[in-house]
Amino acid sequence: MIRLRGVKKCFRDGAREVPVLRGVDLDVAPGELVAIVGPSGSGKSTLLHVAGALDRDFEGEAVVAGTSLAGLGEAARAELRNRAIGFVFQAFNLLPTLSALENVMLPGVLRRAGPGGGIGEVRARARDALQRVGLGDRGGAPPARLSGGERQRVALARALLSRPAVLLADEPTGNLDASSGADVIRLFVELARDGVSVLVVTHEERVSDAATRVLHLLDGRLA
Amino acid sequence: MAGARGILWLAGAALRADRRGAAVNAAAACVGAAALVLFLALGLGVGAAARRLFPADARLVEVVPARVSLGGVLGGGRLDDDAVGRLRALPGAAAAWPRLPLGVPVSASEPAGGLGGRWPSGLALQLPIVGVDPALVEEDVAPGAFADPPPGAPIPTVLARRLVEVYDRTLAPAWNLRRLPPGVSLVGVELPVRVGHSVVAGASEARVEPERLRLAGLSDRVPLYAVAVPLETVRRLHREYGKGDAAYGQVTVLAARPEDVPALAAAARRMGFAVDEGERATAERVALIVKVTTGALVLLAVAMCALAALAIAQALSASVRGRVRELAVLQALGAAPADVRRIVLAEGAAIGLAGGLAGALVARGLAALGDAAAARLLADLPFRPESFFLFPPWLLALGVAVPALAAIAGALGPAAAAARVDPARTLS
Ligand SMILES: Nc1ncnc2c1ncn2[C@@H]1O[C@H](COP(=O)(O)OP(=O)(O)OP(=O)(O)O)[C@@H](O)[C@H]1O
Ligand SMILES: [Mg+2]
Repeated sequence: MIRLRGVKKCFRDGAREVPVLRGVDLDVAPGELVAIVGPSGSGKSTLLHVAGALDRDFEGEAVVAGTSLAGLGEAARAELRNRAIGFVFQAFNLLPTLSALENVMLPGVLRRAGPGGGIGEVRARARDALQRVGLGDRGGAPPARLSGGERQRVALARALLSRPAVLLADEPTGNLDASSGADVIRLFVELARDGVSVLVVTHEERVSDAATRVLHLLDGRLA
Repeated sequence: MAGARGILWLAGAALRADRRGAAVNAAAACVGAAALVLFLALGLGVGAAARRLFPADARLVEVVPARVSLGGVLGGGRLDDDAVGRLRALPGAAAAWPRLPLGVPVSASEPAGGLGGRWPSGLALQLPIVGVDPALVEEDVAPGAFADPPPGAPIPTVLARRLVEVYDRTLAPAWNLRRLPPGVSLVGVELPVRVGHSVVAGASEARVEPERLRLAGLSDRVPLYAVAVPLETVRRLHREYGKGDAAYGQVTVLAARPEDVPALAAAARRMGFAVDEGERATAERVALIVKVTTGALVLLAVAMCALAALAIAQALSASVRGRVRELAVLQALGAAPADVRRIVLAEGAAIGLAGGLAGALVARGLAALGDAAAARLLADLPFRPESFFLFPPWLLALGVAVPALAAIAGALGPAAAAARVDPARTLS
């Protein structure tokens, strides 16, 4: 789950403080697929970064997957992202020098070695995750040889490797054609049904249509 | 925080992605490591060879009569038994062994039995003979084998260990004599000589007796160009040939500890004698030259390692600048800034380690080539060592560790830059 209370965030523009988030309250329960829409520059990505424990300079209260982000150190935030949060980006953000399978393995590779943490087991789990997004036979391909839709499904498999409680997606269908976008949306709906808290930033109606709730980010507040 | 295996996996993936750049930087580290290992191995090898060439025992003080002796006036200066007794009684002296040069000429005009070869006809060699205290060479001969022999038995002799080298590489080829097969024991070889005969016209004694010299052992403690026989034998021959009781030519004083040597030398000088520093001074000078030269070369090699580290720093910081997005993605997936730092450090360390390992191998190969060339070009050089290089295990470890540490040092800056990548800013 995600729980934000009174989240405020400013950026410095020289000597000027530019407020972007002016008191955001947000709850995403397990099993919900919440869509956030809003004009460009309204702070949607900024909000995702706060909820994803990537940004620590904000005011207010944020609890993600049962962990309060206030006062959390770098290592603890990294561990929370690794264990409980999955990210999907508009630009896919696959590592170009790794194969699709190796990209999916990354969260497992980054996890502190423990039981079930061996590279061989991570590889096996990555194969399962690729299977789940329908790319079981493309693991060896480098990202450059995959279509946009395939790349985004690889990115989704990577986000799911650690079975996160929270999935954050920033314009996941922005670079995809209609049918590829539909595949990705269908996977989001399935994940939410499995109990994941899914928060999607989008300006596409086909995404917001699939959402359980749609929130508008305007003037730094959600409505 | 990621585990060490994960860090290595990621560093390996980054290096594989830029194989050529990694290879170029590893080659730079390899050159530095090879130079470091090769120069140090050369210094160690040449140092060891020099010690063999000048086997100066750090505890020996060679006391000789003063050239212009005040002692003569003061009642000292003559190396007789009394002087030997006083030297032996000096504080810090463990033993004192006199040497008495033989005043009767001895010559050889046939080859030693068993060594064969063509002895140039008419060649007669004058042999310088010196009597030494058997205790001086007791570690180099079989017990009891070095004593004045009964009539008819051969005279036991001890030769300088280095003389064998000189014979083998210089005398034997020049005189068409057989070389000594390596490793063969010369002990027991006998040389027919004529006692009383001199190659200098008119210098022979009235009485010339055939005798045999029998090699009892090799020692670093006897003079290089003299044949050492028991002191008692020299005394006997002096009596038989009516020679007066000559003074000793030299007394070797053994210090209890190397630290006692300066005080012993000073005491001997106060007694009116001189101290022959020749061999030891040469040994120390050569050792110093080897050390200084090695030191300079090692500095050069360390500078090469530092240059390699700079190249690695340069390459890694360019690589980090080009990978900002990837590093931000890794952070989104659960890498802490410390993990990102360790990944870049591991890349540097891997480059340095690979270069160091390759460099140590290259150094060994170059040393083998150098030794092969030396064996061909310097075949007849006396004291040429089997190898001019010594590779103790610590040297190979050092050759790997120095470039690896240099590379890690070079990676510190790029690693810190990588850890400063802000994922929120980079990924929006
Ligand atoms: N690192 C930063 N430093 C300064 N200003 C920033 C930074 N990141 C974002 N901003 C500003 O904050 C505002 C919100 O940015 P954000 O990326 O969250 O918008 P967005 O809603 O995701 O827009 P888009 O739909 O175009 O992606 C913008 O005005 C942007 O210029
Ligand atoms: Mg955005």
